[in-house]
Amino acid sequence: MKSEYVGKRVPRVEGVEKVTGRAVYSVDVDLPGMLYGAVLRSPWPHARIVEIDLAEVRKARGVKAVVAGKDFPFNFGGMIRDQPFLAIDRVRHVGEPVVAVAAATEAEAQEALGEIKVQYQELPAVFDPREALAKNAPLLHERLGEYVHTGPYQSVPGTNLCTVRTYSRGDIGAGFAEADELFEDEFYIHAVAHTPMETHAAVAQYIPAEKNYLIWSSTDGPFRRAKELADALRVTINQVRFISTYSGGGFGGKGAMVAEAIAVALANFCKGRPVKVVYTREEELTASQTRHAAYLKLKTGVRKDGSFTARQAEIIWDNGAYASKGPDVAQRGGLTIFGPYRIPNLELLSRLVYTNKEPAGAYRGFGTTQATWACEVQMDMIAARLKMDPLEIRLKNGYQEGDAYINEQVMHAVGLRETLLRASREIGWPPSKPKPLGTRFRGKGLAATIKGTATPTESSCFIKVNPDGTLTLLSSSVEIGAGQKTVLAQIAAETIGVPLASISIPNPDTSITPFDAGVTSSRTTYHMGNAVHGAGLEVRRKILEVAGEVLKTEPGRLSLSQGRIFEEGAGERLTLKELLAKKFGGRGGGLLAEGRFSPAGSPLLAAAKGREGMSSIFWMFATHAAEVEVDTETGVVKVLKIAAAHDVGTAINPLGCEQQIEGAAIMGISNTLFEELKMEKGRILNDTLADYKVATIKDLPEIVPIIVETQHPEGPFGAKGIGEPAAACTAPAIANAIFDAVGIWIKDLPITPEKVLAALNQKKNEGGA
Amino acid sequence: MKRLKPFAYFEPQTLLEAARLLVEQRGGAYLLAGGTDLLVRMKRGEIRPSALVNLKSLQGLDGIKPGMETGLSIGALTSISALEQSSLIQRNYPVLSQAAGLLGSPSIRNLATLGGNIGRASPASDMAPSLMVLTARVSVEGPGGKRDLPLEAIFAEPGKTTLEPGEVMTSFLVPQVDPHSGAAYLKLGRREGMDCALVGAAVFLRFSGARGEAKEARIALASAAPIPLRARKAEEELLSGPLTEERIQQAGRAAVSDSLPISDMRASVSYRKEMIRVLTCRAIEQARQLAMGGIVH
Amino acid sequence: MKILVELTVNGEEGQFEVEPQTTLLELLRDHLHLTGTKEGCGLGDCGTCIVLLEGKPVNSCLVLAVDANRREVTTIEGLEENGEIHPLQQSFLEKGAVQCGFCTPAMILSAKSLLDQYPGANEQQIKEALSGVLCRCGSYPKIIEAVQAAGGSKKKGLGNEK
Repeated sequence: MKSEYVGKRVPRVEGVEKVTGRAVYSVDVDLPGMLYGAVLRSPWPHARIVEIDLAEVRKARGVKAVVAGKDFPFNFGGMIRDQPFLAIDRVRHVGEPVVAVAAATEAEAQEALGEIKVQYQELPAVFDPREALAKNAPLLHERLGEYVHTGPYQSVPGTNLCTVRTYSRGDIGAGFAEADELFEDEFYIHAVAHTPMETHAAVAQYIPAEKNYLIWSSTDGPFRRAKELADALRVTINQVRFISTYSGGGFGGKGAMVAEAIAVALANFCKGRPVKVVYTREEELTASQTRHAAYLKLKTGVRKDGSFTARQAEIIWDNGAYASKGPDVAQRGGLTIFGPYRIPNLELLSRLVYTNKEPAGAYRGFGTTQATWACEVQMDMIAARLKMDPLEIRLKNGYQEGDAYINEQVMHAVGLRETLLRASREIGWPPSKPKPLGTRFRGKGLAATIKGTATPTESSCFIKVNPDGTLTLLSSSVEIGAGQKTVLAQIAAETIGVPLASISIPNPDTSITPFDAGVTSSRTTYHMGNAVHGAGLEVRRKILEVAGEVLKTEPGRLSLSQGRIFEEGAGERLTLKELLAKKFGGRGGGLLAEGRFSPAGSPLLAAAKGREGMSSIFWMFATHAAEVEVDTETGVVKVLKIAAAHDVGTAINPLGCEQQIEGAAIMGISNTLFEELKMEKGRILNDTLADYKVATIKDLPEIVPIIVETQHPEGPFGAKGIGEPAAACTAPAIANAIFDAVGIWIKDLPITPEKVLAALNQKKNEGGA
Repeated sequence: MKRLKPFAYFEPQTLLEAARLLVEQRGGAYLLAGGTDLLVRMKRGEIRPSALVNLKSLQGLDGIKPGMETGLSIGALTSISALEQSSLIQRNYPVLSQAAGLLGSPSIRNLATLGGNIGRASPASDMAPSLMVLTARVSVEGPGGKRDLPLEAIFAEPGKTTLEPGEVMTSFLVPQVDPHSGAAYLKLGRREGMDCALVGAAVFLRFSGARGEAKEARIALASAAPIPLRARKAEEELLSGPLTEERIQQAGRAAVSDSLPISDMRASVSYRKEMIRVLTCRAIEQARQLAMGGIVH
Repeated sequence: MKILVELTVNGEEGQFEVEPQTTLLELLRDHLHLTGTKEGCGLGDCGTCIVLLEGKPVNSCLVLAVDANRREVTTIEGLEENGEIHPLQQSFLEKGAVQCGFCTPAMILSAKSLLDQYPGANEQQIKEALSGVLCRCGSYPKIIEAVQAAGGSKKKGLGNEK
């Protein structure tokens, strides 16, 4: 059947608001009586707070409220409740909030900070997670064992081990014994800053008489934040209302309370006035969230024919000072270290470690960028030693339709092979050995990835039909910039049979829109899409039922298309608008349907007993093929082309899929070649966008997005997800292309010209050609 | 974001008035030109001016026109984008347009001025090396009268000029260039757009009728020393015989020994030294091709 | 010490009393409530605050309001005419050049300035003109397409054109 909207390149439904500058982001929220917040932050990576003198700051011009940790001594944390709103008796990283001030203007709030006197007593600090694991390392969280854990996270009190997760399957020793070759390699991947163009910002208002909080924010999971806040402050979710604005980018970094925490703390003392907290770019870079840096050790057993016998992995995740979403990153992200490959014997030790640095949290990929880095570079190292084609070895070992995942879940809609073939074909494979242009050498490389989605999670929505036949979709899926609203509108319009333009989707409001687990984990198209699809079917059914009643005919003879009702054998009968007018008359009326979706209970999740928790309702696969040029005199690596192939199930909106593929590839290039947080004793030195460099338009290579469709059996119109995988493949594809070009391996990120030159010199000294 | 702290604000109508204000405020007053450096430093809390003296209220400080006798006079308040886009400069002093086009971004170039860039006295200045190899001079006016000096003499140390209290740069004088000459400026950064020079190299070469041997050679480097630097030993090397590949390499190595780069968060000293060598050689080659009238690849 | 500033914003003349330390960006966002112009960093590194001053793009976070006295400012809100959006806004929509949208106003204004000065600008010129606006969503490829569709050309261009 021909589709009206699914599969079409529909422009963003919120696009006009955005191109005209009318879209309201958190930073734009402006309310009567609003105050402005500023934060005094710790200059020390680890210190005891001895004394805070607030006498002068309370008298400063324009100041209306001043809050220190002991005025608001609560902890929050969606997974482990270890993070104070404001430091209470101790600071654990440079930049940790210590005192917040609300004043009539932002300038006055900032000026007032200079009146605060804090006395610290420095404590020994630890910055390397491997050192933090050592016996006498400074301890960050003595009360680790007492913090509320909202999930099955294994912490080790008395140490800096925030969580530890082990996993094994088969017999690792036997697996290695069976191998013809063993590969033992260590990799490092650096922390990066999400760097959304809109910094973290939130407005909070506390109504003392009702004990209600009202928060405007672009957080990606308003219901989850509402719950985190309610749990932290021991209030009910009804008392915490999140109103979502548009988001100027999140990439995972807006998946925890950041500016919200400060705004909420201040709001308590602002006598009912709303208070706005906007992070400066410096605060965004140094005191919000980063991606986890990680040390990865891989030992892989391989047979002569290139098939795998065993993999043992040890990952140390650098969590920074507070847990945030680290526990799940270490847990789920860690498991992707085995790649999209069949390996019978497995062992994983995944350790999340506290250090005295900016907290790490969810970052596009949720651990897969780190795991894929190590897995895919080692893959090429294996191919090189075995003298196998890097494409062949991946095709040989790669998952296919019907294969079992590591927990024996049978995987469907497995497009890995097609992504490998199409990406490599687009870049030109196998790589020829082009003659160097002067000192510039070209090469090509591949990398593939697998990512699942947090399973099971819940999404629900309402669709209401207004008296004039227009519709409103009430959903808590935030438009974080990746096209959530448009995809949902397409699904709704397609399912119901109404024009896309007749559906409006207001921004989420947790007091109105029903529960959704958040825009994370590439889950929205699938989960909210299925909820919308279900609600849509119900709306359609109700409309046709009413139509049957009004037209005095069997609803089974009626259909709805583009808002018009057709009868079998009779053609168009009336419009939806006319139908509702006839049904409800001048006083009006409406229709309402609910959609609720969770994959829990799906037979697709069946797995080995006790391991069902590792199943994912869908698996996403992607391959990036990169062509680079290495200037052997300067070490500068230029990316010439990326062919990025993604298995999305079904492309509900191919334009939107391309946007995400291209966007994540550019982010990957930027992370790999330009971005680095330079630290000195726990302090980030490059705290501006002049020195924390993200890709500009001039750094754009040719990017060819390739959409692969495998039709997921239970996804809405067969769709899966798209948002995260592209971020994972680019770094290893570039590293592998560098090896093809100049024969050097770079095993720790970022790839800098200095590292490339050093590796080239080392190769020359070792007598390499 | 960070808000500016209050300051007194003046719009002088004459240079004398501007000078008086600077002297009166005893070092607390800063000259406001394009604001692209000044306002950033103020927001970062690096400086806290008691007053800003807006030079843009003065007449006649911007504009590109022929010099008194020959060459070019560039008003100190000329914007970097005006420099970049001037057909006069593109035709006769293309290295200045090349350097201007590498500074910041288009919107920054529309605000930033040449005087502001030089007055910032940053060793990473993109404009200084190309002006230096063209032997530009700066005209200065102050309580003590007018004077002009070679551009390199303006730089005292990072962030400080040799200007006396009350002195203001008014224009830059660039002598006429010989048609048998070529100049190039190369900049190395971490990314293609909006980058600060990790290392920059400007080279000027003039050949006499008989090709192969340079009659004039000037090399100036950015981010290679505390101030923008003339690489004299490298220049001598270039003038010591025919311009062979070997000589160019020697000059590159000499430029390294002329330099005094540092390690900072952008690059290590050893990488900088190596890049000084590479960039100098590449800029020499580009300048040579331009001098020969060819197209640079 | 307040100073009277007169400026024309999107064709409308206005008078404002501002402190010297007020930036043009603050005047636009806080006094005029034109929040289409964004503040991503305040230091001129991201470009989201770009407005047109007599048609030329500038980082408004680095322009003092007093320096905009008697000048003409165009913000993103000034591009519509009689409820019709500008061809650039239309092409950004159609080509998928908008994701989170935070950089979009600055990208559109920068492109407008380019095309007004160089109709038929090639890819190299487009990249150069937009090089000062950061887009973390990575919409660069489609932004280039959108500018080409609205009056730029699909020619690649050499490195040295201005």
